[in-house]
Amino acid sequence: MKTDFCEILQKLNSNNGSMLCVVTMCRAVPINDLIYRASQQSDKLHALSTMLTQELVCTYRVHACHTSSLQTPTDKEQALQVSESDLLSLARSLLQAWSDPLVVLSSSTNVLPYSAQSTLSKTIQKMQEHSKDLKDGLDILSSKMGPAAQTITSLPFIETNEIGQDKITKLLSCFRRDSHKIDSFLKVLRCRAANMQPQMC
Amino acid sequence: MTKVGEVLLLLLLPAFVPHTDGTRYSLPGKPTEIKCRSPEKETFTCWWKPGSDGGLPTTYALYYRKEGSDVVHECPDYHTAGKNSCFFNKNDTVIWVSYNITVVATNALGKTYSDPVDIDVVYIVKPHPPEKLEVTVMKDQGWPFLRVSWEPPRKADTRSGWITLIYELRVKLEEEESEWENHVAGQQKMFNIFSLRSGGTYLIQVRCKPDHGFWSEWSSTSYVKVPECKTSSVWILILVFSAFILLILIWLIHMNSHSLKHCMLPPVPGPKIKGFDKQLLKSGKSDEVFSALVVSDFPPTTSNYEDLLVEYLEVYVPEQQELMVDEGKDHDGCLKSIGSASDSDSGRGSCDSDNLLMDKSGAAKEEQQQQNQEGDQIGTETQGPKEAWEKETMLCANEDVVSPDASSKKVKTWPSVFSPVTPYSPSPLDPHNSLEMHKQNCLSDTQFPPGSPSSDHCIKKALQSSYWEVCFNNNQPYPQTDVHQQLQAHSDRNISAINDGNVPSNLLLPTRMTEYVEVQRLNEENKVLLHPIPSGHSREKACSWVGHRDNYSKVKGVNSDNVLLLQRDVVEEESMEMAGAAESCYTSSIAINTPKPTTCSHIALPVQEERVLAVSGYVDTATMFSLDTYVNEMKPVASKANTV
Repeated sequence: MKTDFCEILQKLNSNNGSMLCVVTMCRAVPINDLIYRASQQSDKLHALSTMLTQELVCTYRVHACHTSSLQTPTDKEQALQVSESDLLSLARSLLQAWSDPLVVLSSSTNVLPYSAQSTLSKTIQKMQEHSKDLKDGLDILSSKMGPAAQTITSLPFIETNEIGQDKITKLLSCFRRDSHKIDSFLKVLRCRAANMQPQMC
Repeated sequence: MTKVGEVLLLLLLPAFVPHTDGTRYSLPGKPTEIKCRSPEKETFTCWWKPGSDGGLPTTYALYYRKEGSDVVHECPDYHTAGKNSCFFNKNDTVIWVSYNITVVATNALGKTYSDPVDIDVVYIVKPHPPEKLEVTVMKDQGWPFLRVSWEPPRKADTRSGWITLIYELRVKLEEEESEWENHVAGQQKMFNIFSLRSGGTYLIQVRCKPDHGFWSEWSSTSYVKVPECKTSSVWILILVFSAFILLILIWLIHMNSHSLKHCMLPPVPGPKIKGFDKQLLKSGKSDEVFSALVVSDFPPTTSNYEDLLVEYLEVYVPEQQELMVDEGKDHDGCLKSIGSASDSDSGRGSCDSDNLLMDKSGAAKEEQQQQNQEGDQIGTETQGPKEAWEKETMLCANEDVVSPDASSKKVKTWPSVFSPVTPYSPSPLDPHNSLEMHKQNCLSDTQFPPGSPSSDHCIKKALQSSYWEVCFNNNQPYPQTDVHQQLQAHSDRNISAINDGNVPSNLLLPTRMTEYVEVQRLNEENKVLLHPIPSGHSREKACSWVGHRDNYSKVKGVNSDNVLLLQRDVVEEESMEMAGAAESCYTSSIAINTPKPTTCSHIALPVQEERVLAVSGYVDTATMFSLDTYVNEMKPVASKANTV
């Protein structure tokens, strides 16, 4: 396990040239498994949000999300050029930005018709759980990957004066995209780390 | 004027326009069903469905606007993706940015706008189907299975993790009414299919889907044929064959069941006991059964054993001329010679034998009486005078083989054990018997003319001779010791009679031989020759010498020739039959040597150094081998005896 960890770090260092000094000793759980687990969580998170959005949002609309200010890659070339630490940082920032809005979302279900309320409530609850797990995992992962990974961009959530229905729709749409971003970043990170395990990619 | 002209022109303008039949021109229909798809999350294509063209040539244009921008762009590529499509290449594609797309249909009359569509590229990913589908038939311990392998679509970048694909395949038999069988393979690019049908042809297809996208189309079909299972047909043939053979075997066994039963389980022989009634036994009355077995004389119900004992043979030794032997009518047994097994103490010197005999003469009488009481019977034979004598001579002379003719007159077959013992009149026969015995003795020793002076010798020599026939005929079983004693006494009497010239008159030779006699003693000088008498002969039959390697330890009796007949251990059951009156009479020729060589003069017959008789008195059959030599040697002697 120690060898895996060291090899990954060497690879990470070589890819982006950043100094990822790892001074800490090897943990029991190797990075590969952590990343894999994180990507699984983000995948689930996004799937939930997609399901929810497709049920409650009739049409796709563009909304200005509170996380739009965060600069994220817009195409593949850009995305593949992002370092592992930045990828992790972006993921963690986005995740962090949605911890409060999810709470707001769960409390706004009363505006919806009763039939949709239960679905929304359950799903939002699940999403919060996954989000929590993912956050914890990413925290551990970031601690192994150096100080650059620890950076979290603050994306405060400011409630706007939107009508309940619209608010939910907007929130759901935004969360869908952001969860997709998180999932994408982590999966790219996963393939970067799975040098010895190509079956993960 | 001009205004009127313009109005007229305007009114006439439609007239100048050519008219189609019944067609009205209109604006183009609104394009609908705008669908955009991205195969690899790097490019995407939009298709629309045009509306009616309105009768006029219609052109379509796609305009899009990106999220957060108001700049309207037109589709860069209308041709790559085909008709009514718009292809966005990599440069024009951004992700996580919404596109607002509108299609405009334009004809001469106007434009028609479609409904705008917002899309995000990451949500519309639909990859191409997997490529390089390969199916191979592999074997798992003889059972075939399919190994399906494929490659992700060329353009999908799964290596970097940009796209994560999930695969699914489906299998179907090439038959009608067969359903597709779907299998989700996950992220792996290989899959095994088991439980195949031998000889069947399978169709296999595979497709893929990004983690959050649309399923691709099914790949091209791959055909594979599962080979036939050859071993199954072979085994079926073998099974059928063996079943066929098994049936035949069963039929054969059934046909021959009866004979097989006899072969495998031979019937249990029933008891063959005279007087034994199986039916009585089955009836369960044991008393009746056993009472039937009881013959009047056997087992002896009376304790009067004395009556059962064979009468003694009175032997007295007259002079030589008086050695006449009447031919006995009772040819129950043969008695030849006098057993020299007189002394248990084999250590006696040969020269002492005379003294012993002298001493024992009196004792012989006593013993004789005792034996009378004991009831031992010794079969004797009497013969006519000279004829018998001669015959005796011949008989006795023929050591090797007793002529049947001669022996027939003398040898009697063994009577049945259960037959009543006919008492033998001792008196007239005693002397004869003794004479016989004496004669026998003399005959055995052919070198000495029968004569009174030599009678002793004869007797001695007879005793010493290696030829000795002893038959005991006993009707009743009696202890062997009695017989032994009788024999001993008998011999003693004979000897004493010869010596003294007085023959105990009361010596009787038993007429029948029913039991075995244990010859225990021999004088040192005595040599006992035992002729085996073949079984199955009647009384009239002679005892033929049979050179068997049999156990001659049983004495059947004494025939009229004063020959001790030893019964051979009968191998065959028949000879042991008690019911038959004919009993085989065996006289075996055994040269028995006393341990101490005789010092008295006698015919130098080869003396066996070996101790023939064991301590127990049984004749050692091992000496039979040596008998041959003796017998052969005796032949010339016999011839000489004939001349006597």
